[in-house]
Amino acid sequence: MVYRVFLLLVFLAIAIGGGAASVWFALDNAPLTGRFTSGPWQAFPLLGTPQADPYSRARYARSGGLPLGPSEGIVLTAREDSNGDPLRRTCTYVISGQLPPARLWTLHLTDADGGFLPDHGRKRAALHSWMVVYGEGNSLTVHVSRQPQPGNWLPSEGNGRMQVVLTLFDTSVAVTSDQFSDLRLPTITRADCHA
Amino acid sequence: MLRFVHTCILGLIAAGVVHLAIVFMLPDHTVRDAWSRISNAADYYQTIQLDARPDSPLRIDNPYFAGAACRFSLEDGLLHVRSEGKIPFWTLAIFDNRSQNTFSLNDRVAEDHSLDTILLTPIQMQRLKNDPSADLGQSLFVETDVVEGFVLVRAFIPDETWEPQVRAFLNSIRCEAVETQ
Repeated sequence: MVYRVFLLLVFLAIAIGGGAASVWFALDNAPLTGRFTSGPWQAFPLLGTPQADPYSRARYARSGGLPLGPSEGIVLTAREDSNGDPLRRTCTYVISGQLPPARLWTLHLTDADGGFLPDHGRKRAALHSWMVVYGEGNSLTVHVSRQPQPGNWLPSEGNGRMQVVLTLFDTSVAVTSDQFSDLRLPTITRADCHA
Repeated sequence: MLRFVHTCILGLIAAGVVHLAIVFMLPDHTVRDAWSRISNAADYYQTIQLDARPDSPLRIDNPYFAGAACRFSLEDGLLHVRSEGKIPFWTLAIFDNRSQNTFSLNDRVAEDHSLDTILLTPIQMQRLKNDPSADLGQSLFVETDVVEGFVLVRAFIPDETWEPQVRAFLNSIRCEAVETQ
């Protein structure tokens, strides 16, 4: 009798404990699915939509996020430079190239968790399409650095990793697997590093 | 011993079932999702202001955007969302009560870029079309299968000088249930 109760407890512990622990582990550690990449940029167009898979849906629900819909825009995030090295706030980077057609775009820096980087005096770690200076043929060059730079500059205050977030609003760009990898997006090149 | 191994195997199978059950049930039961947070912050049809500040009930994760949201239930009637003034750029998204973005539009589709939208179910649309006395006005009609959810308007703030105008636009957003026969 005692052995039977013991077996029942073992069964429940494995079933409930194991089930719950594996969900917790999967949602916190497993990589997000539905990712499209183009160079250093990645997008999760299905995140927070009814088309997302159950794991992404569960994870997104817990984040309290407000994803952009297809008619609003798309978010492209870079955690690494074009060489595949992690983006660090102590380094200077040059973002250059053409941007896909969009009515409006914003470019901003965040920490590894998505929080905005602090302002440098009155200069925000963010730019948008109305305020930047374009080069020849509508090309764009933006310097990311802790020190002020001439031209378009994003201040990367602090230490540790960072992400560059490019948001295209009202854009004809549809993020589908084959189209997205052919999309021409700016490169992110590391200029130098102050350790 | 055999019975112990047997129990462990059964336990693992049951753990798989529990795992799947939690994954599928989590979006409906979490209290951290956007729907729960907005439900805690405001009643139905009450507009709340959102931005990236820590005290905002929901975070708008773009430094040049602020937003406003209101909850609705189309069981109360059609939803009329409108605001006053004009601003450089806004988008509107309809989220269901599982916090999923199910429909979106931007100001390009709206009459002279102003926000005046009526949200309704296909059945309500049918009834409205059959009612000759209904005044459809200038509003943009959006059919949705989402009966309960929230509307989120995001607005672009190009710089500080635009801030008062964009905030006034967001503050003027009214969400009203319009009863139909």
